Amino acid sequence: MKGAGAVKAVVESRFGFLVLVLTALGALFGVATVTRPAVATPVAVTPARVAVESVTTVCPEPGGARVSALTPPGGRGKGLATVAEVGAAPEAGAPAASAPDRPGLLWQREVPAKSAPLEISGTGAMASGLEASQTTRNAGGKVRGLAGVRCAEPGAQAWFIGPGPAAGADVTLHLANADTAQAVLEIVVYSGEGPVVSESGSGLVLKPGEHRVVRLRDLAPSPLVMAVEVRTSSGRVAAAARVVLEKGKGADWLPAAAAPATTVVVPGIPGGGGLRELYVSAPGEADTVVRVKALTADGFYAMKNRETLEVPAGSTASLDLSTGIGGQPSAVVLTSDVPIVAGLTATGTGTRQDIAFTAGAGPIDVGSVVADNRGGKDVSSRLILSAPAAAARVRVQALPRRGAAPPPVDVAIPAARTEEVELDAPGGRGDFGVVVLPLPGSGPVYGGRVLDERTGDGLMLTAQPLGPARTYAVVRPAVESPAAVLP
Amino acid sequence: MHPPPPSVTAIVVAHDGARWLRETLQGVLRQTRPLDRVVGVDNGSRDGCAAILTEAFGAGNVLTLPRSTGFGEAVAAVLDRLPRTGGQEWIWLLHDDCAPHPQALEALLWTAASDEKAAILGPKLRDWLDRRLLLEAGVTVDRSGRRDTGLEAREYDQGQHDGVRQVLSVSTAGMLIRRDVWDLLGGLDAGLPLFRDDLDLCWRATAAGYRVLNVTDAVAWHAEAAARRRRRLTASTDHPRRLDRRNAIFVVMANLPFRSLLWSVVRNTFASLFRTVLLLLAKQPANALDEIVALASVLGSPRRLMAARKARRQGRKEGYPEVVKLFTPRGMAYRRLADMVQSFLSGAGPIDSAGRHHAVIPEASRDDGEELLTDAGLMQRFFGNPGVLLVLALTAVTLAAERSLVYGGVLGGGALVPVVGGASDLWNLYTSGYHAAGLGSGGWAPPYVAVLAVLSTIFLGKTWLAVSVLLLGCVPLAGLSAYVATRSMISQPLARALLAASYALLPVATGAVAAGRLGTAVVFVLLPAYAAFAARVFTAERRRARRAAWALGLLLTVGTAFVPLVYVLVAALGGLAALSFAGVRRGVGVSLGIAMAVPLVLLFPWLAQLAADPGRVLLEAGLHRPSLADPRLAADSLLTLNPGGPGVPPVWATAGLIAAALAALLFRRHQMVVVTGWGVAVFGVLVAIVVSRVPVDGVAAWPGVPLAFAAIGLMVAAAITGHRVVELHRAGGARRAGALLMVLVACATPLAAAGLWINEGVPGPLRRGTPEVVSEFATANSTRGESTLLLRSTRDGRLSFTLVRGRTPLIGETELPVAAAARERLSAVVAGVASGRGGDDALTLAAFGVRFISVPGPVDPVVRRALDSDPALARVSLSATSGLWRMARPLGRAFLLEPDGRRTPVEPVRAGDGALTFAVPAGAVKRTLVLAEPAGAWAAAVGDSALAAVTVDGWAQGFEMPPTGGRVTVAYDTFWHGLWLWAQLGLVVLAAVFASPGARAPEAAEEYAEAPAEADKEEVPV
Repeated sequence: MKGAGAVKAVVESRFGFLVLVLTALGALFGVATVTRPAVATPVAVTPARVAVESVTTVCPEPGGARVSALTPPGGRGKGLATVAEVGAAPEAGAPAASAPDRPGLLWQREVPAKSAPLEISGTGAMASGLEASQTTRNAGGKVRGLAGVRCAEPGAQAWFIGPGPAAGADVTLHLANADTAQAVLEIVVYSGEGPVVSESGSGLVLKPGEHRVVRLRDLAPSPLVMAVEVRTSSGRVAAAARVVLEKGKGADWLPAAAAPATTVVVPGIPGGGGLRELYVSAPGEADTVVRVKALTADGFYAMKNRETLEVPAGSTASLDLSTGIGGQPSAVVLTSDVPIVAGLTATGTGTRQDIAFTAGAGPIDVGSVVADNRGGKDVSSRLILSAPAAAARVRVQALPRRGAAPPPVDVAIPAARTEEVELDAPGGRGDFGVVVLPLPGSGPVYGGRVLDERTGDGLMLTAQPLGPARTYAVVRPAVESPAAVLP
Repeated sequence: MHPPPPSVTAIVVAHDGARWLRETLQGVLRQTRPLDRVVGVDNGSRDGCAAILTEAFGAGNVLTLPRSTGFGEAVAAVLDRLPRTGGQEWIWLLHDDCAPHPQALEALLWTAASDEKAAILGPKLRDWLDRRLLLEAGVTVDRSGRRDTGLEAREYDQGQHDGVRQVLSVSTAGMLIRRDVWDLLGGLDAGLPLFRDDLDLCWRATAAGYRVLNVTDAVAWHAEAAARRRRRLTASTDHPRRLDRRNAIFVVMANLPFRSLLWSVVRNTFASLFRTVLLLLAKQPANALDEIVALASVLGSPRRLMAARKARRQGRKEGYPEVVKLFTPRGMAYRRLADMVQSFLSGAGPIDSAGRHHAVIPEASRDDGEELLTDAGLMQRFFGNPGVLLVLALTAVTLAAERSLVYGGVLGGGALVPVVGGASDLWNLYTSGYHAAGLGSGGWAPPYVAVLAVLSTIFLGKTWLAVSVLLLGCVPLAGLSAYVATRSMISQPLARALLAASYALLPVATGAVAAGRLGTAVVFVLLPAYAAFAARVFTAERRRARRAAWALGLLLTVGTAFVPLVYVLVAALGGLAALSFAGVRRGVGVSLGIAMAVPLVLLFPWLAQLAADPGRVLLEAGLHRPSLADPRLAADSLLTLNPGGPGVPPVWATAGLIAAALAALLFRRHQMVVVTGWGVAVFGVLVAIVVSRVPVDGVAAWPGVPLAFAAIGLMVAAAITGHRVVELHRAGGARRAGALLMVLVACATPLAAAGLWINEGVPGPLRRGTPEVVSEFATANSTRGESTLLLRSTRDGRLSFTLVRGRTPLIGETELPVAAAARERLSAVVAGVASGRGGDDALTLAAFGVRFISVPGPVDPVVRRALDSDPALARVSLSATSGLWRMARPLGRAFLLEPDGRRTPVEPVRAGDGALTFAVPAGAVKRTLVLAEPAGAWAAAVGDSALAAVTVDGWAQGFEMPPTGGRVTVAYDTFWHGLWLWAQLGLVVLAAVFASPGARAPEAAEEYAEAPAEADKEEVPV
């Protein structure tokens, strides 16, 4: 009865329904406010890390060189590695000794002269981190010195930067197509005066299994310094570049430089005497002023009169850093408004000169593997590790050709410092591989490896920046969504 | 020397016509030109006709014949017995229900005397009851036998048709014919006992070189008793309507020359079928049956037709040119069609019955105030109409606001998939049982595809036009819909226009346009119509209510197809209303049941599919993306009908409407309507809160439709304010000020909304010129249905991808259900390929039929490196805007899997009607033919032996191949799908027929009405 009375009151009063509706609206407001979700913090996606399942590398000219290959331990399951000359039919039932067969053990082979490029590939457990390199040692002659290079992974693009023919450097590009599809590629040279337009055209077609050596003197005879870009419009190519200086002034391979970026770190600059010359190329459409800073064991510092380097659009410039670095093992950090490519030449001391190159490289977030290191009398291998942003800790593990591996060594690098780490050969001498792995919580690490040998007539040396190991790949979650058709 | 004066014999044939006969006989006997002889014939009347005749003419002048005698036979029987006079002799034929004017015969004979070739003359016939009403002044037919009097329906005789004219035919009622001509022609055809016998006779006379004249100075009043079924017919057992139609066709076919006859057969067949369909649509199945039976009975007895033609052979061809001149002019048919369409639009049945012999023409239906369709005044009236002005103003506002979207490239963005393809593509998408799109799907395409296909067909196959009109034009369309729907609610057109504008410019509309929400746009236009039809279901007279229920059901089907939530909203309210109304009004429950059941039945297969994923009920047509809705929609937004997301105005923009609706609560009158409106609004807002708070697939849904629903409620409430404002204004003083304030507030809402919208424009994400996702190169190289994998990096570090087959997906294709197994496998494979871990991910990708991988720019360097490093992929192109890779060894849509894992592509040798044929060579024992389609209802056969189906890799359809190989035919089972499609078509037609206004056959009600003549006036059908 009471309820009926209330209803009657609402119906009869002029404001009854208004009050009723306002109450309902108030209730809705309350519900909507209470149920309003809190500010959602965007959930960071944690990408999964999976082992790489297949790796192919091509050693550009193994003739007369020692080819080393190494798969770090840790791969699960079965795996298989093969070694074959590019273009040759795959060796069916090849003897086991001719290819790496166990992860964690260094595999080496002296390759006879005049050999075609070697394709070293691994699948499954033998792929995870497979690294191969070739090193030549000549005690005399036109190509005296140590020359080493990471065997290249076929790709669609490769950058090299170094001296040009006008500076007495005979630069040859070693191109190989190890795939089953033909590769159509183009070679672009950026000299000190700008991009070189070749009269004969710089296009090239490599059939499956074909390999070719291109003398850059034929394409661009005049540059003093130059950057070379090899890019394919279809297919993939394994590219490497070799520099032989005139008059026996040394020979080495140019390491592949990091693709153009606005910040480039050139790591692994060896300490000691000799020339240290920086090359910077700005392949884009705009001139730029590159800020140059050295990162040594004492930290960052700007070198007097060498704080900046002007690079015109599409050209390559050089800067002598010999006195600036002052013989310390170091890295160079370059920043620019437009993407740049950078590399560095180092020469050894002594009556007969040898030369070595390093180049811009990325951080070794997933670790790095160097297959060919040497130890013994007069021979030393060193890692030069730089941590430009934050303090870093890495674990260095040497892996011998046979026998048990020595315990790993942890190395701490303070923030904005460079550390040189001497690598001790297991058992005191011989060749060995090295795995560098940043420890959890470590800042980004850039590094290089220097290999040198003291001889009577001068220091022979070779260097290479540490490339990211092909151990793990970061797998980002992929979501099927029709919305992908729209930007 | 004068020829002897002609003698005239009047023959009155009576049959159960006592109630008219007396007057008829009086008319005959009072002629100013006395008759030389009069003869009465009684065809076995049972109501005393014989006695009346005898009384008038004397016993010797009355002949009695059996009941089944036809008119022609009766006249022939009289003439057999009647001796000739020798001079010129005329026969005057009269029906028992045809009273001639006293001067009729005089006028006829006077005309006959002035024209030597005149052999048949007829008076002007007027209606027996309404004596000014003109029935006939000469009749003609068109080539399909449709009778044409040349008169408007219910035309009054004001002398407008007067004058002596040669016509094709005059009625036998009052026909004056020369006896020698009668004898020459053989009289009326005994095979045509009723209807069209007059036409046949006159046609023959005209063909024989005589003239048939209509003399309007002579007048007779005719009751048309037989045709109007005011007496029983005994001359034939058939229904008069069928008889009339049959005779019409028969006469035309019998009298046409041979060449015209062939054409006439074809023409009549098609015309009859067409009319049958129309009559079915008009819910007149009996008429439809008559139409088709009449045709069948003429064509079914060719011997009779041959005999009739043989009898008419003489002079038929030679006289035909004379006859042709008298036919209905050719343009008439088109005019009739136009009239028909017009009358259908104004709510009449889709068929006019004027073509029938003496059809009853119903009173022009009183159309209650449909301003948009009344045609008086034309231009001025058209542009003075507030509804038209409203639509024009809203269109102008829309064009100004959507300036960036009016023209340009492909429309797309937000929830809208770039609109490509034409109507045929959409029809194909909806009707095919297996969709070769994306991953491949055997499910039902969303039914809104069918709606869009219909619209695209109307827009000459241009889907983009249909989508543009629906989406970009949703504001003016919603304004029009709201204006028309409130017709019965608000009497003042200006208030209506204002309210309609407020509705059309709600934040829901601007938000739907900005985000490309086609579903909301369509439902937004339909919602006022739902309200209007629902109101009619509850309040209208029963037949109209039932019709409204069917219409509501159909429209609800359309809305549900776009936005399933709208069904839930309407059903919930409908259920509540049914509970409160069912006891009050009879039939409301059934009507509501119909309205609610129609969408369920029509959309059944798709709804069942939807039920498997209930969260989708909260979604709508198009893509569901996180950027399109505000996940933390504020409470004040919800209460002010602001759904959030892109393109909505500030919160206060709708304050005016809400204030007006609140003010309405203060009025005592119509309080229940206002409260009901507020109830709907509160319900809508409540649902909106639920929708915006329950994420679907982790992404917030958009509460646009429930808020539009709430707005309808507010409109109903605010509508009442309009009435009262006028009264308050009249009251003066403070009330007047209050009224002015209210008008200001009410005007403020649409003006503010329009101003804000024009100022802001449409910010997107909807835009013109969405970039092509599949490059021309890929399209040109995917002719065999190969897929392109579309890979995009999202901001939160994920990859989003989709498969497309050679072209941008059609609207609706993105919502096809996809087998979960295939989707998960593909996700894993794509993640692997994009990570660059090597391995055989890319090879597995080829098994999905992928030939290209397209990465729209800016290309993620990590992805680029990964794709570049994969030996199974080759880069085709890379630029700032896009990258394209291709499979080094694509597998196409089918491949053979050898026992050792080798895979060989198999090209289909023939593809068509949903079946694929492959030529498989002989080979190893355990081979599998693998399709790049998810496992499902596939069947394969070599010759007659079916192959065992297997599922390959957990998702793909495979078949075990015999080592002998052979031609393999693979098809997807679409039997039930096809069956359902036909059922859907049938149900749609049925519902449309029930929903459309139908002309009810008036005869049914007054059949055999033996009421006195005066009472007939009240029987004018409605």
